[in-house]
Amino acid sequence: MTQTHDTLRGRLYAFFLRSEPVRGFALLSPTLLIMLAGMCVPFVILVAMSFWTQHVFEFDTTLSLTNYNEIVDKPMYRVLLTRSLAISGACTVATVLLAYPMAYYVAFHVHRHKMVWIVLMTLPFWSSYLLRVFAWKIILGYNGAINASFMGLGWLEKPLEFLLYSPTAVVITLTHAWAAFAILPIYVSLEKIDRSLLEAATDLGDGPVKRFIGVTLPLSLPGVIAASLLIFIPTVGDFVTPALVGGPDGAMIANLIQVQFARVNNWPMGAALSLAMMVIIAAISLLYIWTARRFTEYGR
Amino acid sequence: MKRKTDISPQEMTDRLQSGTLSRRQFQQMLAGAGIAMVATPVLSPSALAAPADQGTYFTWGGYDIPELFAPYIEQHGEAPNFAAFGGSEEGLTKLMGGYVVDVAHPCNAVLPRWVASGLLQPFDLSQLSNWDDVIPALKNLEGSVHDGGTYFAPMDWGQTSITYREDLFDLQGAEESWGMLWDERYAGQIGVIASAGDTWWCATIFAGVDFTEMTTDENFDKVAALLRQQRPLVRLYTDDVTTLEQALASGELVAAMTWNSSPVDLKRQDVPVRWANPKEGALTWVCGAVMHKDAPNPERAHDIIDSLISVDTGRFLIDEYGYGHSNSKSFDEVSEERLAELGLTRNPSEMLDAGKFQIPLDEEFTSRMNGEFEQIKAGF
Repeated sequence: MTQTHDTLRGRLYAFFLRSEPVRGFALLSPTLLIMLAGMCVPFVILVAMSFWTQHVFEFDTTLSLTNYNEIVDKPMYRVLLTRSLAISGACTVATVLLAYPMAYYVAFHVHRHKMVWIVLMTLPFWSSYLLRVFAWKIILGYNGAINASFMGLGWLEKPLEFLLYSPTAVVITLTHAWAAFAILPIYVSLEKIDRSLLEAATDLGDGPVKRFIGVTLPLSLPGVIAASLLIFIPTVGDFVTPALVGGPDGAMIANLIQVQFARVNNWPMGAALSLAMMVIIAAISLLYIWTARRFTEYGR
Repeated sequence: MKRKTDISPQEMTDRLQSGTLSRRQFQQMLAGAGIAMVATPVLSPSALAAPADQGTYFTWGGYDIPELFAPYIEQHGEAPNFAAFGGSEEGLTKLMGGYVVDVAHPCNAVLPRWVASGLLQPFDLSQLSNWDDVIPALKNLEGSVHDGGTYFAPMDWGQTSITYREDLFDLQGAEESWGMLWDERYAGQIGVIASAGDTWWCATIFAGVDFTEMTTDENFDKVAALLRQQRPLVRLYTDDVTTLEQALASGELVAAMTWNSSPVDLKRQDVPVRWANPKEGALTWVCGAVMHKDAPNPERAHDIIDSLISVDTGRFLIDEYGYGHSNSKSFDEVSEERLAELGLTRNPSEMLDAGKFQIPLDEEFTSRMNGEFEQIKAGF
C-alpha cells in the first residue's frame, strides 16, 4: 500500500476502483440526475397534486380522494379512457399486421442492399409528425384525395364523412405514423431466426404455412410483443392526432387532460387523470407481457 | 500567437491534397467544426426565429401577424415576438402557470378576472401617443381602471355570429337566427367555436336568457341542455378559425359560429357566404391590450400597445378583417361604402348596443361553465 491510500481521498479512490456498482452509478450519474430532476421530482409533484382540489385560482392542499371519486363516478372519464384504449388497441393491431409482411419480406427475400430497404421504410419519419397529420387531413378530408377521386370515378355520390373527424381517422393516422416502430423490432427478430431451423422443418415435411406457424411465427413473437408495447403505450396518451383529425367523437383522454390544465383550469383533476391513465396502461402492459410470456413458453 | 492548427480553409484543402496535414491536426479541426456547429445558435441570436430583444405579444390565433405592427416595425426594425392562445381562459391559465409576456390580448368579459389575478400592471399613458384618439366609450369598460391606474387599452371590437353558405343553407324564408346552428336538417354540417367564452354566450342568447341572469342554476341548466341538443349536429368544435373557414369553403360545413373576419376572408376568396344578423342579436365584445406586471421590456410593451391602437393598424383591421377599431381616426381611412359592406359603423356604441354585449362573470360561474362545456363536447 502506498502513502496516498491512507488519506481519505485515496481511500475513496480505492473504493471507487474496487466497487463495480459504484463505478456503474458514476458512469450513469448524468442520466440519473436528469431522470431524478426531469422524471422523479415532477412525478412526485403529480402524485401529490392529484390528491389536492382546485378552488378557482387556488389549490386546496388538504389531501382528498375527490378527483379519483369523480373519475370513477362520472361516465365521461370512463368512456374517454375506454375509447383511448380501444383506439390505440386497434392502431396497435393494424400497425403490427401491416408491418409484419414488410419486415418478413426484407428479412427473408431481400438479399442485397437490406440497409436501403430499412431506410426506405423509415422514410415517413423524415418529415415532421405534424406535417404527416396534416397530410392525412388532406387525404381523408371532405374534398380530400380519397373522396375527390372516388367521386371523380363515379363510385360515390356524396363524400364519405366518416373518413375525417372520427375515431377511424385517428386510427389511420396513428397507424401510419407508428409503422416504423413496428417494422424494426419485428425485422430484427425475424432476421435472427436460424435458417437451418426452417430447413429442418422443410426436411421433416412441413409445407410453407405449417413451417410459418410452427417455426417462424413463434420465434418472431418477441419482436411482435416489443412492437405492440412500443406502439400501444405512447398512443393511448396521444394528444395532437385526435385534436386535429378526431372530431367530437374521436377525442381521447389526453385531450381531456389538456383542457384540465388549460381552459378548465383544474390542475389536480388533470394530475389525477394522468395518473389513472398511467396505472391502467401499466396494468394492461404487464398483463400482456405475462400472457405473452406464458404463450411463448408453451410454444417452445 | 498562431498555433499549428490555426489554418484557413484554403490552407487546409491545399495541405490535405499535398498530404502535409497530420491526422491529429485534421481531427482537431473536425472537433472545432463540431463545436462551432453546436455553438452557432448560442453565438448568433439573430439566427434564431424569436429575437430576444423584441417585446412578446400573447394573443388570439390570427392576430399574430406583422400587419398589425407597422409603427412598431418602423421603430424597431421587426415585428414583436408572438405567442398564441386558443381562448382568454387558456391564456390566463398559461400566465398563471408562470409564463411571462410583455403584452396580452384578453376581452372585456374576462378583464376583471385578469386584473384580479394580480398579473397585470397599469400603463404609463404618456408613452401611448395614440391614447387620446381612443374612442372614450371604450375606455371605461368594467375592469379597465383599477385604483386609479389604466390596465386595459381597447383595440378591436366586433361580433360573434354565424357565417353560412348562401348556396347551401336554405333559410326557407325565415329570418336569420341562432337557431341556424341548431337546424337538424344540417346535422353533421355545423361548426362551433370550442371555447365556452363564445359558445356558451351564444347559446344563452338563443335560449332567450338575459346575460345578467345567466348565472342562476335554472338558466345554467337551460343553456347546458341547449348545447347538449346541439352536440350531435356538430361536425367540428375548434378554436382555430382557419379550420372553420376551410370547412365552410369546401362545403363540409354549411354554417359555423365565427367572428367578423371569417366572412370577409371567405368573400375575398369568392366563397358565397353571408354574415348573419341573428334576430336574437349577435354576441358583441371588445378586446384589447394589457401589460404583464413582470414585462421584461416595458418600453417595447408600450410600443406594442401604441402600435395596436394606431390608425395604421385600425385601417388594416377594419378593411382586411372586418373588425371595429378603437381609434376614432381609423374610420376616416375607410370609405362609407366599405364600412356598410362590412356591416360596421363608426360609433361602436351603436353596434355594441344593437347586439348582446358580453359582461364580466364571477369566477365560480366561469369555472363551472368551462367544466360543463368540456363535458358536453365529450358527449355527456
